[in-house]
Parts: sequence; C-alpha cells; structure tokens
Amino acid sequence: MDISKRHFLTGCGTLIAGISIYSVAKELAGSEAGASVDQTQTIKYAMVHDENLCIGCNACEQACRDVNNVPDGVSRVVINRTGPFGEYPDQSYRFSRKSCQHCEDAPCVKVCPTGAAYIDPDTGIVGVNQDKCVGCQYCIAACPYQVRFINPVTQTADKCDFCRETQLKQGKQPACVEACPTHALVFGNIRDPESELVKTLKSKPTYRAKTDLGTRPKLFHVPTIDGEIVL
Amino acid sequence: MSAFHFDGLVWHWPIAIYLFLAGLSAGAVFFGILLKHFKLGKKAYQSRFIQAAALIAPVTVCAGLGILVLDLTKPLDFWKILVFYNSTSVMSMGVLVLMVYQLMLFAWIGAIFCTPIVQWCEGRWGLVTRGLIKLQQWEDVITGVLLILSLSLGAYTGFLLSALIGFPLLNNPVLPVLFLVSGLTSGAAATLLVGVLLKGNPNGIEVRFIHGIEIPMILIEMAILFTFFAGLILSGGQSQVAAFNALGEGFWGWIFWGGVVGLGLTLPLAFNLWMKVSADRKFAYVAVTASFSLVGVLLLRNFILYTGQMTGT
Ligand code: SF4
Ligand code: SF4
Ligand code: SF4
Repeated sequence: MDISKRHFLTGCGTLIAGISIYSVAKELAGSEAGASVDQTQTIKYAMVHDENLCIGCNACEQACRDVNNVPDGVSRVVINRTGPFGEYPDQSYRFSRKSCQHCEDAPCVKVCPTGAAYIDPDTGIVGVNQDKCVGCQYCIAACPYQVRFINPVTQTADKCDFCRETQLKQGKQPACVEACPTHALVFGNIRDPESELVKTLKSKPTYRAKTDLGTRPKLFHVPTIDGEIVL
Repeated sequence: MSAFHFDGLVWHWPIAIYLFLAGLSAGAVFFGILLKHFKLGKKAYQSRFIQAAALIAPVTVCAGLGILVLDLTKPLDFWKILVFYNSTSVMSMGVLVLMVYQLMLFAWIGAIFCTPIVQWCEGRWGLVTRGLIKLQQWEDVITGVLLILSLSLGAYTGFLLSALIGFPLLNNPVLPVLFLVSGLTSGAAATLLVGVLLKGNPNGIEVRFIHGIEIPMILIEMAILFTFFAGLILSGGQSQVAAFNALGEGFWGWIFWGGVVGLGLTLPLAFNLWMKVSADRKFAYVAVTASFSLVGVLLLRNFILYTGQMTGT
C-alpha cells in the first residue's frame, strides 16, 4: 500500500509540475512572440471602407466572386444596408461592410485545432490552409464578426484573404478595391507612412468593430454622417 | 426565428450530444473510482454498479467522439486533428486529454477486472495475464491520473464553449464549472440506471453512497445555475439580453424551467430526499430518478448550446 501510495503521489506531482511548467513556458513564449511580431514586421495589410462614399452597388461582392471563385450561396464580403433614414425625398441609407477583419489577435486562429486557420507572419493576413482544415467549424463559431463559412465546394472554412492567392500574387490590388466605382475601399500597408491607406486613416475619422473583445481588427470603417442618431 | 434555426447558429445538436456523452463518461469514471476507493475495495469488480460504470464510460466516450467526427465537414480527415496540435485551441487540447483519458480508462478497467479476467484465462495467453497483473500493481497511479483526467474532461466540455468570445452567454467563466458538475451528475445517474438494469441491488451500499453525494451536488448545481444567470443579468448590455432571451418565454424558456430546473433538478432532489427518509429504495425509484437527471442534463446541454448562439455581442 505504501509503495502504491508513493507511486500515486509521484504520478500526481509529476503531472501537476508538468502542467504548470508547460503553462508558464507557453506564457513566456507567447509574450515574446507577441512583442516581436509587432516590431519586426514591415508589411501589415489593412483596409478602409468609407461608408460615406459607398453606394451599396455590390460590385465588390461580384468582383470577389469572379476572381476568387466563390460559389453561389456564400460570400466573402457582404454590404449590409440599413435605412432609409429621413423623409422623402431627402432619404439616405447606411452601408457597412462585413468581411474578415484580419484580426491581429484572431479568435479563429486561437481555436483552430489543427492550425489550419493561421496568421501569416509576413503580411498579417489571416488565412486558411485548406489541406489542414477538417471542417470542425470551431473557427466559424469563434469569429465574433461572423464572416467565416464552409465553402460548399472544398468543404473547408473560407473567408476573405485580401486576395492573397489571386490579385496580390499578381501585384494587383484586391478585386473588391479595383471594382469599387466610388473608390470607397482603400487597401494598403499600414506600416508604410506614404501609403494611401495610412494617409486615409490620418485624414478621416474611423472606427473598428467590437474592439472591446481584444481582437485588434485591421478593417477600418469611416462612419456615415447621414443616418439616424441612435442612443 | 425558430428554436433550432436562426442567424448565426453554427453548432447544432450533435455537438450538444457530444458534450453530454463526454461529460457522462467522465462522471461515470469519477463515481466508479469513488465507489471502489471508499466503499468496495478489492472486490469492486463484483459490484453491478462498477460493472455499469466500466461499461458506460468507454461506450459513451467513443460514441461521443464518433459523433464529433461525423459532424466534421470532412469526416475522413479527422486524423489531422490527432496529427496537428495547436496549444491555444481548447478543442485540440481536449482531444489530447480525450486520447490519454481513453488510454487510462482501459488501463483502469483492466486493473480492476484483473482478477476475474485472469481466472477466466486459466493460464492461457500468458502475455495478457502478465500485462493485467502489471496494470494491477500500478492501479493507484492509474486511478489518480484517471481521476484528474476525468475532471479535466468534464471541465473541457464547458471550456470548449466558453472560448467562443463573441457570445456572452457562452464566454462565461462559470460555464466550465456548470458543465463539470452536471456532467458528474449525469455520470452518477447513468451508473445507477445501468447498475439496477443489470440487476444490481437498488438498496445496496453503492446506491446509498451515490445518492448521498447526489443531494449536495444537485444543490450546488442549482447554486451554479443561479450564479451563472445572475452574473449575466447584472453585467448588463448584451449579457443581460442573452440571459433574458434564454430564460424568457418561448421554446427554450420552457425547456429551461420545465426540463432543466423542474425535471432535471427539482424532481430528482425531491425523490432523493424522499428515499433518504423512507430508507427503502426500490428499483423503480432509482431508475426513474436517474432517468430524470439524465434527461435534465441532456436538455441543459442543448439549452446552453442553442441559446448561447442566439445572442452575439
Ligand atoms: S474577422 Fe473573424 S475570420 Fe477574420 S481574423 Fe477575425 S476572427 Fe478570424
Ligand atoms: S473549420 Fe477548419 S479552419 Fe476552422 S477551426 Fe476547424 S479545422 Fe480550423
Ligand atoms: S479583399 Fe479579395 S477576398 Fe477579400 S473581399 Fe475583397 S475581393 Fe474578396
């Protein structure tokens, strides 16, 4: 009995020590990684959607569908329309863009069991590795912006990737940005002070959605001036 | 908006059943270990209730994993979850726990049923016999590790949902405790139910022992449920909206008050107290009480999963 008790205690002790060392080590590794990513990266892509310029034409959605082969029934970007506000004929609508925010601290990346959802250290783009994705849909439930979906063709998680596999590879701007007739979308490198993106961010007031969740999103919105005032 | 289909719903009932089965398995193991340690000792393998726990635990955990795999959009790729790990993912760590848990579970079953199996072998298959005897020597270690793993597994079922930060009802620190306690309750209930079905004595020491723990556990579960919703309501904002959406009138409100609180907690509590004073336990009493508890926990899992996804931040 004494020997087995000792066995038991040793076992428990080792287990607990193992767990605590593991978590401390992870904590240290995490804080180091978090600090280094922010400083050394020279490219970090972001996007601005100007809700005052947007006319809700959905050209962005169509262009994205064509270029990125997005099947019917799902979409990587949606323009949500609210309104009309005001009395006829002085009516206006509000348009807001719903697409992946490329969170710096992305919940989808954190919860993915296989590492299929990942953040690209070179560009800050959040992507999905289709070969690793098993379709558990944990990321879809975890994304607070509800922009992820299962692609009915590949059966894997899918969403906006800033056209990384298509337009960016050819040195072009994302399809939605090119297609926008009013130039409501601006895409660029947030680390480059000369970029149109940074200039836009410095000249217009912007907001980001649900920042209180600590996701640090990289999709900025210029808020509509028209529309009703909601308390 | 209907009760089972609404905007933003990602995870459906198979996940609730998976969480239910995983918690049930953990609970059955937990009570099996307690029973053996405190009441039965070396002759535990003769108890119908230990046999029930040893039967339920592996069957439910395997069935749960099976459901989880079938619910993937690419079920044939499930092995990738076992090959690729992500230390920040609750699901990934849970799968790790589940694997070690199953291993330890079978080792534990081998250890406690060592004597009858060795007798049955009658000297055939020397390797099996030697292996089992080795297991029996290490039984205390296996039991200790398995106990910790079963508690981790029970809590994991809650952590899996509480990692979903976009839903205030799920992203709640009380949820893992709630799921752990209700998982243990369901394990106890299943052990009792299958035990008496296997013709175990409904008035035996095992039943008395488990019922003795069940009464405080139901009270704790009620207190946790109260804390859970009181906390949400007092936080205000979307948390409050989520709580009122869940508890208010409508399908899920009925499920909560009638199914989870009434059928799953109050009735078993009343029956347990009654059995305590009347001293004589009959098959029907034990079976009905256990079935009510089980249904209650299953409803709780579905209730939390669906109402949790109903209200986002
Ligand atoms: S918006 Fe959603 S999908 Fe995109 S990075 Fe953030 S959590 Fe992931
Ligand atoms: S659906 Fe795919 S990308 Fe999303 S969490 Fe599961 S494995 Fe990862
Ligand atoms: S950046 Fe590319 S993938 Fe993203 S919405 Fe625009 S077109 Fe689609």
